[in-house]
Amino acid sequence: MSEGEMAIIKPEMMKSYIWLETADGSIQQVEQEVAMYCPMICQEVLQKGVGSSKNYAISLPQRVNPAMLSLIFDYCRFHHVPGRSNKERKIYDEKFIRMDTKRLCELTSAADSLQLKPLVDLTSRALARIIEGKTPEEIREIFHLPDDLTEEEKLEPLKNTMDDPRIRLLNRLYAKKRKELKEREKLKSVEVEEHVDERSVDDLLSFINGRDHKVVKTSKSKKKNKKRKEQKNGTSMGICETSEKDLKHNLHSKSRNAENVDKTASSLGDVSNLLSMEDDIFTPKTEFEDGYIDDEIDPALKEMLDREVEDFARRLNSSWVLSIGQERQPVHFSINGNGATRRLTGPAAGHK
Amino acid sequence: MGESPDFISDLPQSIIENILTRLSIRDAIRTSVLSSKWRYKWSTVTDLVFDEKCVSPSNDRCVVETNLVRFVTGVLLLHQGPIHKFQLSTSFLQCRPDIDQWLLFLSRNGIKELVLELGEGEFRVPSCLFSCLKLTRLELCHCEFDPPRYFKGFSSLKSLNLHQILVAPEVIESLISGCPLLEFLSLSYFDSLVLSISAPNLMYLYLDGEFKDIFLRNTPKLVAISVSMYMHEDVTDFEQSSDYNLVKFLGGVPLLEKLVGYIYFTKYLSIGDDPGRLPITYIHLKTIELYQVSFEDANEVLVLLRLVTHAPNLKELKISASPIQLFPLEEEGFDLFERDYFDYQLPRLETVKMTDVSGIRNELEFIRFLLGTSPVLETIVVSSSLIDKDAKMGMVVELLRYPRVSPRAQFLFLQD
Repeated sequence: MSEGEMAIIKPEMMKSYIWLETADGSIQQVEQEVAMYCPMICQEVLQKGVGSSKNYAISLPQRVNPAMLSLIFDYCRFHHVPGRSNKERKIYDEKFIRMDTKRLCELTSAADSLQLKPLVDLTSRALARIIEGKTPEEIREIFHLPDDLTEEEKLEPLKNTMDDPRIRLLNRLYAKKRKELKEREKLKSVEVEEHVDERSVDDLLSFINGRDHKVVKTSKSKKKNKKRKEQKNGTSMGICETSEKDLKHNLHSKSRNAENVDKTASSLGDVSNLLSMEDDIFTPKTEFEDGYIDDEIDPALKEMLDREVEDFARRLNSSWVLSIGQERQPVHFSINGNGATRRLTGPAAGHK
Repeated sequence: MGESPDFISDLPQSIIENILTRLSIRDAIRTSVLSSKWRYKWSTVTDLVFDEKCVSPSNDRCVVETNLVRFVTGVLLLHQGPIHKFQLSTSFLQCRPDIDQWLLFLSRNGIKELVLELGEGEFRVPSCLFSCLKLTRLELCHCEFDPPRYFKGFSSLKSLNLHQILVAPEVIESLISGCPLLEFLSLSYFDSLVLSISAPNLMYLYLDGEFKDIFLRNTPKLVAISVSMYMHEDVTDFEQSSDYNLVKFLGGVPLLEKLVGYIYFTKYLSIGDDPGRLPITYIHLKTIELYQVSFEDANEVLVLLRLVTHAPNLKELKISASPIQLFPLEEEGFDLFERDYFDYQLPRLETVKMTDVSGIRNELEFIRFLLGTSPVLETIVVSSSLIDKDAKMGMVVELLRYPRVSPRAQFLFLQD
C-alpha cells in the first residue's frame, strides 16, 4: 500500500464503526474491530475505503442475512479479543454451534462468503459430526434431502465419466442385467402383483451383481446365442427358470402393505413406457440382437474382458457399495430389485 | 410434504468438500446415495485417508486385504481431479503391485501429502514416487527406499517422516540436503551409526535409532530436538574424541526451545573434554527433558549442569535417572557442586520433575543445586526407585533439609 493510500485510509481507520448493508437492504453499524475480523469486510475497508458512513455502507454478499450477520459478529466479538486461552475458545465454540442444522448450513454459507475461515471450519466440522456414522435414511431425514435416486443408481456408482473400456463394458453388463430384470418383471406382472418380494438385501445385490449362479450362466450362454439366434427359446427358458425360482420364493414371502403394492402395480405401466423409450424392446427375440454385438473385439478377448468386468463389478459392489446400500429399511429394495420401478416410486417416498 | 427445504445440498462445493474431508472416507462415499445432487459431490474431495475401517471387519486377513485393495482401487477410479493427500494406514497390506499402481496414479494427480503406513514386508518404494515433486509431506513406514540416480530431492518437501525404512545413510543425507524447505524430520528405527544433517530450514528433529555420531551441519533454525540414542554393543561404540560432543552437537542451534533425549543421549553428549563455559547461550530454550541419565557418571551430570546454566529462560526440567548398577561404582571424589555453580541462577525455572531417583549423592546434590539457584521455582516433583522404605524416608528427610531460594517452591513426592 502506498503512503498516499495510507493517508486516505487512516482517518477512516480511526472511526470506530463500520456500516454494512445486507442483501435485503437493511443497514446496520458494527464496531470496527469486530467487523474487521471478517477478511471480506476488512478488504472492502482497506482497498475500497467504503463502510465509513451510512451512504457508503459495505454491501454484503447475498448469502449473509441479518440474523446470520449478528451471529457471526457474536463470534467475532468473542474471538477478536486477544489473550483468551485455547480452552476458553473451545468451550465458546462448542456452545456457539449448538443450533439446528438449517441455521448451521446458513451460518456456514454466510461465514464462507465473508471469508471467515475459522468459523467455516467450525461449522463444517459440526455438520460433519452430524453426518458421521448415520445411515443415508437418517441423513436424508435430518437435512430434508429428496430420495430421488433409483436403487439401481444407488447400487451403481460407476458412470462413464472416464473413457475406460472396462467401464464401458461394465455399463453394458448393467444394461444386460436391466433387460433381464425387466423381462422377469414382465413375466411376473400377470401373477405376482399380490405377492411381495422380501428377499434380503444381500440376495438382491448378489442377483444384480451377477453373483447369482443362474444369472451368470444366462449371461454366458448369451455368447453362444449370439451366433445361434434360432435357439432363443433356450435362453428364454433360462430366464423363466430364474423367474420361476423367484416366484416360488415370492409365494413364501408375506405380502407387503397394500399401498405399496398398488403403487408398484400402477407404476408398472409407466415403467414399461419409460423403458421402451430407452430401448424399445420387450420381446426376448430383440434382446439378443440388441446391444451385445461388440465392436470387433476378438471373442476370446471379449470373454476375458467380460469376466473381468463382472469380476470388477462384483468387487466394487460387494466390497463397498454393499455397505453403502445397507439401509435400514429393506422396503427400498422390495420391488424385485428393479430399479426402474423404484424410479417412479422414488419421488413420492422423498416427500414423506 | 416436502416443505422443509434442503439447505445443505446447495452450499458451495468448497464447503461441501470441507465437510466431506472431515468424514471418514467410508462416510464420505456413502453420501453418493443420498440424492441426485450428492451423487458425485464426494468424488472431488482432495484428501483420501484409508485404513482397515474402510472395509467390513473379518477374521480372515486375506478377506480384509482383498477388500481393502478393491476399495482403494475403486475409490481412485471414481475420483475426479487432483488428489492432494493420500494416506494408507494398515498393517494388512505389505508389498503389492496394487500399491505401485496407486502411487503411479497419485504421482500423476498432483499428490502433496503422502502417508504410507504399511505392515512389515518387502515393499520397495516405486520410482514414480520420486517424480512427485509437489510433495510437501512424506511419511513412509516399513519400506525400502532407494531413489533412482536422476533423483535430486523433493523441492517442496516440508515434512519427512521415515519409520523403519531400509535406506543407506548416504542416501538419507543427500535426500535431506535435497529438500531445501524441510522443516520437520523424523527418522525412527534408523541405524545409521554416523549421520550428518544439513537442512537450513529444519525446525523439528526427531531421531530414534543406533548412532555413533550425529552432526548437525547446517541447521540454524532448529527449535525442537528429540533424540533416542541406542547403542550397538556398548558405550565404547561412541566415537571418542577430544571435542566436547555437547558443543559439537548443540553448537549450531541458537534458536532451540525444547531438547529431549532418551537412553544414551546424555552419555553421548558427555563425551569429550569439558571446555568449561559453553560458547553459546540458549536464550529460547524453555524445556529440557533428559531421560535415563546416569548420575553415577560425573560427566553426565556435568552435561546437565552445563545445559541448565546456559539456558536463562528455562521453565521446565524433566530428568529421569537410570537405575544404578548392581555394584555401584565408587563415586568419584569429584566436587561438581563445590565449584562456582551456586553463583549461577536459573531465573525462570518453574517446574522440575526428577524420577527414578535412587538417592545417590550426585542426584541429591543436583536437586540441592536446583533448589538453591531457582528463585521462581514452584514445584519440584520427585519419585524414587528405592524399594526400602527407610532408605526412601532418609532421602526425603535429606531433600527437605536443603535451602530453597524460592519461597513458593513446593516438594511433591510421588509414590509409584
